Amino acid sequence: MSALLQVKQLDKHFGGLHVLKNFNMELHKGEIVGILGPNGAGKTTLFNLLTGFIPADSGEVLLRGQPIRQLKANTIVGLGMARTFQLCRPFVGLTVLENVLVGSLGPRVKTHDLGERAMQLLAQVGLADKAQQASELLSYGDLRRLEIARALATEPELLLLDEPFAGLGSSEIEALSVLIRKLHSEQHLTILLIEHKLREFMQLVSRVVAIDFGEIIAEGSPADIVKDPRVIEAYIGKQNPLNLDNHA
Amino acid sequence: MEILIYGAVTSAIYAMLAVGFTLIFGVARILNLAHGSFYALGAYSAYVLTTLAGLPLWLAALLSIAIVAVFGVLVEKILIRPLRSSQLGVLMISLATAFVVEQALFLIFGSEYRNVPAFIDTKFNLFGVDVAGQRLLTLAVATVAIGSLYAFIQFTRLGSAILAISQDPLAAKYMGIPSDRIFSLVMAISAGLAALAGVMAGPFLSVQPSMHLLPIVKAFAIVVVGGLGSIPGSIAAAFMLGYAETIVAYLVSGSWTEIVSVLSTLLMLVFRPAGLFGKRAAF
Amino acid sequence: MKAFKGLDTLSSFGGLVALLMLGVLPTLFTGTYLVGVLTVAAIYGIWAVSWDFMSGLTGRENFGHSLFIGVGAYAAGFLNVHFGVGPWWSLPASMLVSMLFAVVLGFPTLRLKGPYFALAMLSSAVIMQRLMLIFWEYTGGEEGIQDITPLVKNPLHYYWFVLAVLGSITLLLSWMARSRWGLILRAIRGDEATCLAAGLPITTYKIVSLVISAAFAGLGGALYAHYQLQVSPQLFAVVTSITIITMVYVGGMGTIFGPVGGALLLTVMTEGLRNFGEWRLMIYSLLLIFILFFLPNGIIAPIWQKMRNLGRPS
Repeated sequence: MSALLQVKQLDKHFGGLHVLKNFNMELHKGEIVGILGPNGAGKTTLFNLLTGFIPADSGEVLLRGQPIRQLKANTIVGLGMARTFQLCRPFVGLTVLENVLVGSLGPRVKTHDLGERAMQLLAQVGLADKAQQASELLSYGDLRRLEIARALATEPELLLLDEPFAGLGSSEIEALSVLIRKLHSEQHLTILLIEHKLREFMQLVSRVVAIDFGEIIAEGSPADIVKDPRVIEAYIGKQNPLNLDNHA
Repeated sequence: MEILIYGAVTSAIYAMLAVGFTLIFGVARILNLAHGSFYALGAYSAYVLTTLAGLPLWLAALLSIAIVAVFGVLVEKILIRPLRSSQLGVLMISLATAFVVEQALFLIFGSEYRNVPAFIDTKFNLFGVDVAGQRLLTLAVATVAIGSLYAFIQFTRLGSAILAISQDPLAAKYMGIPSDRIFSLVMAISAGLAALAGVMAGPFLSVQPSMHLLPIVKAFAIVVVGGLGSIPGSIAAAFMLGYAETIVAYLVSGSWTEIVSVLSTLLMLVFRPAGLFGKRAAF
Repeated sequence: MKAFKGLDTLSSFGGLVALLMLGVLPTLFTGTYLVGVLTVAAIYGIWAVSWDFMSGLTGRENFGHSLFIGVGAYAAGFLNVHFGVGPWWSLPASMLVSMLFAVVLGFPTLRLKGPYFALAMLSSAVIMQRLMLIFWEYTGGEEGIQDITPLVKNPLHYYWFVLAVLGSITLLLSWMARSRWGLILRAIRGDEATCLAAGLPITTYKIVSLVISAAFAGLGGALYAHYQLQVSPQLFAVVTSITIITMVYVGGMGTIFGPVGGALLLTVMTEGLRNFGEWRLMIYSLLLIFILFFLPNGIIAPIWQKMRNLGRPS
């Protein structure tokens, strides 16, 4: 099975800072993969590079075998890769429904009744009753859902979620996880997500790529990653506080 | 050689205008389109105080600067501050103010060119070039003014406060720096500097009600080229523009000079929107 | 369910009625004075509507709209006087020339944030004005181009023609503003990065909307040239841009139809203040300041909204 997304030797410098070092990764259709890493590891930079929001220095990104590294952000969306932002910025001045409608105007959407489709998307994320509300008045959790609905509206094959649980309370996190799992199974979406909230992350993804300082430090199933010493060191430091055998 | 000297004079005037413009932007994020009006009011005020009130020139000059500085502070407090949340709102209201001032000047003084007296009437011969004393004085005054401003910002506590606000307004507030009062101070400096330019350049540049417009276009050009919010950048760009214009004036014709400013603005915006030395891009 | 609002039947009907009333109005009076005032008002209406479509919807206020007006007018003047081409050719020519300028200026300036875009356009307009004076041998300098032939000799008929153009443009742009075009432009106003993430080529949309705005501004310029029968560098003045922006603010930003009312109101008002001719600029500026502080939603559009809601029980 050939990979949906292939990242080869992706490299990026910000001035003197080597933010992403010859990054390699593969994503297969139907997977939910998580990118784990402490703050500053390069996760959001990776997303920005993949989705065309910032230019890479070198390397290749292939979507269904097609090189997309040099393409513009909106073109990439048109090819089936959508993303959400960690800091949700809704379209100020537009209603919730209109926010989703904006995402529906791309080339991948084949339906004619855009309004109906947008309402269905809102229903999926649980915002149908707020369709006519001003989008800037939504709560944080609802904004996250709107982000996802807007990304879904572009009819993506691959969905990139940038820290979807950040700033949410535990019940909202639970609800959002359920939603993501539902989208994955019902819509056959391939999902790549960034998080550093371990618990929800582990239950959601089938494979984890752990990075630090722009490099992959470990890859594997959630159970393996948690035990990986390099990952623990990156997060917590050299001491393992879970090791009760320590003399202290 | 002529180009060298005249270019320096022009650059000095532009520098005074641009530094004030970029200062208030760097500190308060205000693009003040009434900045040209300060320049105009400086010149007119000097005219009125000498011609109609009969005051000696040096006194008229000082008073003019003071008056315009106060005017600037009032404009900022009353008209601009309430709209500070919207940069476009500030733009519009400062532009509207500039036109109110232009109209008022027109209604009071009419559209003929006015004569602002010069400090020095004699011509000097510098390196074989005949230069009006006033122009040389302008160059000297500009250097002293900008130099003192720079020293003030670098070496005094108040200056550090100004720098702090321009780098991080919120943090400065948390540290107890009274930003509102600093805004007024910076506005006064900005307006005063523009008025000084008007007073010094008035004798040899045109003084009529719409004289505020070109300085604004040029100040914007300089600040774009030099980098918004950067004083050294503005000074450098002012010299670049001043010399570019002087060279064009000598080689081609005087009327082409304005093209230089707008062309350089557009080109810089296309290729390097942060300007040559700027930290913040215009987008 | 319908995704886009589309044209509102009530508003369209109201607009049609207003248009008819405006057309009939001068016939009730003798002489050509009122016709003249209303013709100018209608042309300002075209300029205001064209400005509102781009700047009102995207929030990128264009302070150099007078540039497009001026080049359209001068194109008409050149064709007509210097090249002896029949006057009707001015209309498409002016639109083409303005559109060209919009493309050339739009590319470097539209990626700038609001205030910088505004200033860049303002600078461009000021420079165009200077250029007209610099190349006085070709452009006629201060006096501009004179002796342009009128499109329609009868002032009343010309007025009706201009009114028809105004009506068509308002209808077209209103429809576009309430269709996916308007949605996209408003989204651009909301957040550009999110637009990109939604798959929209925002640069294309920004430039195209500027081009549309410029086309109609230029068309208005040509209509003005064939009314005044002369063009001068004054057309490029910042004053013109400010006047139009004030009209849009009075009418209601982004509503498309509101600015028409704003244009009518302000033109008639200034005519009434004719004796204070020199005060006009002052009055406009003060009015703008007043509106910015107290009535940011304008006057015309909110009044129309209130009138509509009166008829509704809920």
